[in-house]
Amino acid sequence: MRQHTLIPSFQRPPSKVVIRRVADYEQDLSALIHESLAAFNLPIKGKTILLKPNLVGLDPLGVVNTHPAVIAATRESFLRSGAAQVLIGDGPALDRDTEAIIESGRLREYVGALAAVFVDLNVDEVARVTLKTRASRLKELYLPKTALGVDFLVSMPKLKTHHWAGVTLSLKNMFGIVPGSCYGWPKNVLHWAGIDRAILDINAACRPDFAIVDGIVGMEGDGPTQGTPKASGVLVFGNDPVAVDATCCRVMGLLPEKVRYLSQAGTLLGHLQDANIQQLGEQIARVKTSFAVLPTFRPIVE
Amino acid sequence: MEADAENSLREPETSFRQSVCLPFLLNAQNPDGGWGFHPKSESRAEPTCWALLALRESSTASTEAVARGLQYLRVAQLSDGSWPSTPEQRTGCWVTALCCWALQGTPDAAAARMAGLGWVCNDWPQDSTPWRRFLTRFSPRSQVQPINNAYRGWGWTPGTSSWVEPTSFALIALEARGDVVPSEAKRRRELGEAMLYDRMCPGGGWNCGNPRVYGVPGVPLIIPTVWALIALRQYGTRPENVMSLEWLDGQIGNIQSTGSLALAKICMEMCGGRWPTDAPVLSDLYERNAFLESIQVAAWSCLALCAPFRWLDMTREKPA
Repeated sequence: MRQHTLIPSFQRPPSKVVIRRVADYEQDLSALIHESLAAFNLPIKGKTILLKPNLVGLDPLGVVNTHPAVIAATRESFLRSGAAQVLIGDGPALDRDTEAIIESGRLREYVGALAAVFVDLNVDEVARVTLKTRASRLKELYLPKTALGVDFLVSMPKLKTHHWAGVTLSLKNMFGIVPGSCYGWPKNVLHWAGIDRAILDINAACRPDFAIVDGIVGMEGDGPTQGTPKASGVLVFGNDPVAVDATCCRVMGLLPEKVRYLSQAGTLLGHLQDANIQQLGEQIARVKTSFAVLPTFRPIVE
Repeated sequence: MEADAENSLREPETSFRQSVCLPFLLNAQNPDGGWGFHPKSESRAEPTCWALLALRESSTASTEAVARGLQYLRVAQLSDGSWPSTPEQRTGCWVTALCCWALQGTPDAAAARMAGLGWVCNDWPQDSTPWRRFLTRFSPRSQVQPINNAYRGWGWTPGTSSWVEPTSFALIALEARGDVVPSEAKRRRELGEAMLYDRMCPGGGWNCGNPRVYGVPGVPLIIPTVWALIALRQYGTRPENVMSLEWLDGQIGNIQSTGSLALAKICMEMCGGRWPTDAPVLSDLYERNAFLESIQVAAWSCLALCAPFRWLDMTREKPA
């Protein structure tokens, strides 16, 4: 079982984030991702890796979910870097027909046969996890054994604003590991526990080891599904999901410290302050693309 | 001639059911009698229910497998009459309705089923208590998601909100079809049916239960629409049912997954819709992803290919 000790920010070494400019999904993503991963010297040789993309719903236009080209190229890059096995898994929150979601998004076309590669986390075997942080009123969650058991977990969200949480990036993406078979479609128990607080509890229980954000085309406004596609032309990589999300907010023209769950995540789950984030690749100012938000989230806009 | 043509059309699908779906289910039964969501995974109540419903419709399936599956369900029941989603949990959930449904027509499980239905009748959603409804009047959320909380259905887990699928499953479980149901069933069903109609998407069909958010109409989905239409099938002539069945009919040609195709077929058959001759074929979709090894999708495929189609044959209920 993967175990993470929660480390206060003041004891945590600086985090590293790489921003790469990518014009569209037709680029040689595999080479670009492989090169970007090399900057981190990740401990993945011979390991089992789970890529956790954001598969929210049917996506024939490729603007809602993490793009399959990014998922496939990441999988290939990890295998090239020596990983023994690279699985892809998610538990969509609003629709129990995971096969329809991955088919509509053409994942099979990019990755090949999925039966041995894809794990529907909604119906995976589960293990009881006691929530140590108790940020929400939840005392425990049943979580998928695949997510808990892999050596290395990569959160792969799309760069989006969100109508309840403000933004949905690598931390919010972890809602998808909570199994629908236990909690339903949607995972309403998390809403009742408070979305912001539940995000903290889930990430404290199963913190991603790495994050790759698909911001080549993101979504602004009424995300995660009803917003407007927004071409931002970036992929963001990092070994700290909080630092990656904070950087993505800055790329979107938003204030990470004003996003409630993110500001709290900055105490125990990673670095929020840019002084603690070693920024590589493109500078934020050069790739910044202002994202529109719903009126309730105007205070998070720079 | 017409019947021959229909039989020949069905033949490859019947063969798919006999040679792929049923063996897949039978081979995946665990030694404890239950089924997991995938072969060789821990038994859970939900996939066991789907497998049982499918096998009970099959004249060729093993009666011993069915008996062992029913026994698994009886053992998995909690002392309060409910069923948990996973054996380790000590709290029941929406799966209870499904278990009651699967136990229907099994005389020696009548007490277990009645205890389960009693739990279902007492499981009220938390979003619609009088106090919550009062608070909601002052919440900005009520403008964001305009729904009528006076209509009370069922949630996925206790203490949460009403949603379309668990409400549909509870309504189906509370249909008697020749068995006894608790006396409160009638009132709960009326409220649950009203809730489903309130949550229908503009233009017909259902999603998980958000017909409109931030003024944007919700987009219907196949699976919730199927279960809502089946739960409401006795009102087949209501405009909402007609509109939703039309929406489903319009989606069939574009369905890309075995599970949705199987359920759409079941729904069209039960609700009097016409199955298009150019619809995708289950065995073709199976070739893509092999059900993603899902027990429930295999079970739905079996049910979709039942002949004669008698599943969920409805009779009027007999109050206790």
